[in-house]
Amino acid sequence: MSEAPALPRAQAAPIQARRSGRLARFEPVTLLWVALIAILLFLVAFPLGKLLVVSFETRGTGEFTLMNYVSAYGRSRYVDALVNSLRLGLTSATIAVVMAVPMAWAVSRTDMPFKGLTWAVVLGAFILPPYLSAVGWILLAGPNSGFINLFWRWATGADGALVNIYSFSGMALVIALNAFPLVFIFVKSALDLVSSEMEDAANILGAGTWTAMRKVSLPLVWPAIMAGFIIVFLEAIALFGTPAIIGIPARINVVTTQLWQFFEYPVRVEVAAAYAMPLLLITAGMIVVQKLMLARKGYVSQTGKGGERRPIKLGPWRWVAFGWCAAVGLMAVIAPLFVLLQASFAKAWGRGLAWDNLTLANYRLLIFEHDMAMTSIWNTIWFSATAATIAVLLALMVAYIVNRKLVPFGEALGFLAMAPFVIPGIVMAIGFYAAYASPPFALYGTAAIIILAFAARFLPIAYANSSSAIRAVHPEMEEAARILGSGRLHAIWMITAPLVRKSLLGGWLIVFIVASRELSAAIFLVGPRTRTMSVLLYDLSEAGNFEVLAAFGGLLLVVTMVFVGIGMKLVGRDFMLRRN
Amino acid sequence: MTGITKRGLLGTTTALAAAAILPARRAAAQDMPAHERQLYEAAQREGELTWYTGQLQAEPSEAVGRAFTERYPGVRCNVVRTTSQVAFQRLSQDARARVAQCDVFSSTDYSHFTFLKREGRLMAYKPQNAAGMVKAAREAADPDGHFQVTYLALYMLARRTDRLSEAEAPKSWRELTDAKWRDKMAVGHPGFSGAIGNWAIMMKSMYGERYFREFERNKPQIGRSAGDPVTTLNAGERIVGVGIPSAATLFSISRGNPLALIYPTDGTLLVPAPSAAIANAPKPNAAKLFMEFACGSAYSRAVREFSAESLRPEVPPPEGSRPLDEIKTITPTPAQVQNEMTEVKELWRDIFGV
Repeated sequence: MSEAPALPRAQAAPIQARRSGRLARFEPVTLLWVALIAILLFLVAFPLGKLLVVSFETRGTGEFTLMNYVSAYGRSRYVDALVNSLRLGLTSATIAVVMAVPMAWAVSRTDMPFKGLTWAVVLGAFILPPYLSAVGWILLAGPNSGFINLFWRWATGADGALVNIYSFSGMALVIALNAFPLVFIFVKSALDLVSSEMEDAANILGAGTWTAMRKVSLPLVWPAIMAGFIIVFLEAIALFGTPAIIGIPARINVVTTQLWQFFEYPVRVEVAAAYAMPLLLITAGMIVVQKLMLARKGYVSQTGKGGERRPIKLGPWRWVAFGWCAAVGLMAVIAPLFVLLQASFAKAWGRGLAWDNLTLANYRLLIFEHDMAMTSIWNTIWFSATAATIAVLLALMVAYIVNRKLVPFGEALGFLAMAPFVIPGIVMAIGFYAAYASPPFALYGTAAIIILAFAARFLPIAYANSSSAIRAVHPEMEEAARILGSGRLHAIWMITAPLVRKSLLGGWLIVFIVASRELSAAIFLVGPRTRTMSVLLYDLSEAGNFEVLAAFGGLLLVVTMVFVGIGMKLVGRDFMLRRN
Repeated sequence: MTGITKRGLLGTTTALAAAAILPARRAAAQDMPAHERQLYEAAQREGELTWYTGQLQAEPSEAVGRAFTERYPGVRCNVVRTTSQVAFQRLSQDARARVAQCDVFSSTDYSHFTFLKREGRLMAYKPQNAAGMVKAAREAADPDGHFQVTYLALYMLARRTDRLSEAEAPKSWRELTDAKWRDKMAVGHPGFSGAIGNWAIMMKSMYGERYFREFERNKPQIGRSAGDPVTTLNAGERIVGVGIPSAATLFSISRGNPLALIYPTDGTLLVPAPSAAIANAPKPNAAKLFMEFACGSAYSRAVREFSAESLRPEVPPPEGSRPLDEIKTITPTPAQVQNEMTEVKELWRDIFGV
């Protein structure tokens, strides 16, 4: 950079010449690459690096210390929370796989009836925010007042409860009911690629449908099942709302609620950072295990010889398959949504459906009397929209550079863009708080910190989406334009952009929807005027006022449905569930 | 599908429009003492204030915010209602990030205020209206005037009237450790609710640590806010509410829920809950004005609608509550709250696991 003047003149001259030669070949894309690296470092690497550094700092003085780790793991209660989280993640992921894999198989490979309904259920479960289904399930399965238990007592005359939501298994089930669409999407799109010939071969060798599924189809999609399992695991250990709403009455402390406690006065960011470190190790470990388990085998199901795909005839069993999908749908979407709706129009939800129990007061309170409710709706919409735009644009540029191999080490960009995928959202939020809350950035309480955190957190979704979109466009079309004299940016704008527009819009909407219900990062970063709907819902849930809470959840769902509706209109019915 | 979506969109837009218009509707000018008018003029230039509060429940807190803007049109009150410990946590997070966002802070944990005062983070502003408050509020306020008591909160027991008769119901805190209340009770959490923290301090000093272990054996359902058990009782999940705020319960009773208050024989918990303007408040005049408002009679009239105790002699107590001087009350000393709050929270978490 500035060493040149220090060199003897004789040597400096050739360097100058070389430099101008390099400048001649300089493409603006290099600048873009540098800018992207800077942005990604700012969004992803710096908060995480800061988190690591802070975990070794003494509060106030900043001196090096290991005491944070001692404080973070020095009490058995704190260690228990970590163990609980791991158990919760594993249990939820297992339940989700058990629920979703048969559904994916039935939808992808068989002639099960009403596949559209199953799609709707998966979509519904994806849209319903986890804390709302947690509240729904409290109304359904509270040991004494839950509708399921009331019905059980009425029907059997029994004294006890059939199901108790305030338990470890209850919490794991609720999380799984919310997260199974992730497994479904992965496994279904993998199964879609397995050609019937493989199953045919098994059939010819004497295997029935059941054996062929067990021994051929499912093993072929094992990587997809693993990926789904890991995602649900990561989701489950990063959730904050469900453990706060169900876990506290159930007396189960987990990592996220424990991290929240470290933010009580005095705010111990350092201890929280130290406490979060093992989480990162565990998620990294899971990825390694996945790699090891998949390394030694081949899972190629797509070959050059285009295979035929036709649905397996299940006969009467197709109703069993449908029954399974319907049962999951009932538990995941229909039942909780129904009780939430009932509660939102009720004076006291425990009194059930009755004319004198009906009221619009909950909605009136939120829409006309509540100071923050409407502001938070607006905040949610514009934070999520801005974050989605940032994430998609950034992801698009990175995906383009990486896929077209425009710069050396382009993969580094791709790696940074995917990194947040393995970082639990709550850890990311604490990293953002540690890095950007205080001066010189002083972003705490501003919209910017939330938008940036959302953009960073959901960048991997946008990146996976953009990457597959770009890959689908062969470079020869751009090259044709460039041969005809178009510049690169012009070619991108005129040719590539129109081709990828639809799938980018789909990606934008998915980021928008997941951002609009985000709680575990937002809860650490909101200020009084930047509260989002999810944070306000959490605040409302403190006093257990489920009627108003349900009404607010209803409003949140209306907002989401509007955007899902727009997405379906513009991009196609299955935009959220497509995985390229 | 599309029909529903469009209708939803329309509803949301209408609601958003309504939300934008409503604050602009100005109430009629009211008679205002000179000191308030002066502050009001200065506060109008600031336009708004942010109030972190953990005292009243969400609905009355919102009502107080609206009553404030009604009395002082043009000055909006951003109500941030959480439990007291969470409100303090947010204030601490602000301080740690060196960002000033809060103008007035209210909680049910007295030690927050002694701490903030010691750190020099409270505005040295004594509201003139404080002189006309009831004796109990005046006496519990900061002698230097840095914080005022804006909520004389009573915490007691409640029962489901349809499932537990008055004769059968527990009469005292002490009785709650009896095995017959197993799986019947609901209570808030001292890690969230300042009031339950106060209650835990009193139980510990009256009956020792053993009380919590015995209480734990009865498996009370733990919520977060002290008001949470009111909902749990309404839902029929449990039948005895422990440490429930009288205000929220009386309000719920007035809405037709089958609840009744029980004044414990070993003392109803009286918590003088303070409010203060914050030293580095971004809207200092609006903060002072809010403190005047909270000490004045308009505030007492507003909270009385939600069955909270009146703080002004000229505003009668809420219906259904017994006058303060007729009941036996217990209150931890400020020193007790300051020294034992953290300890009692840890004790609770060790015993209850959350």
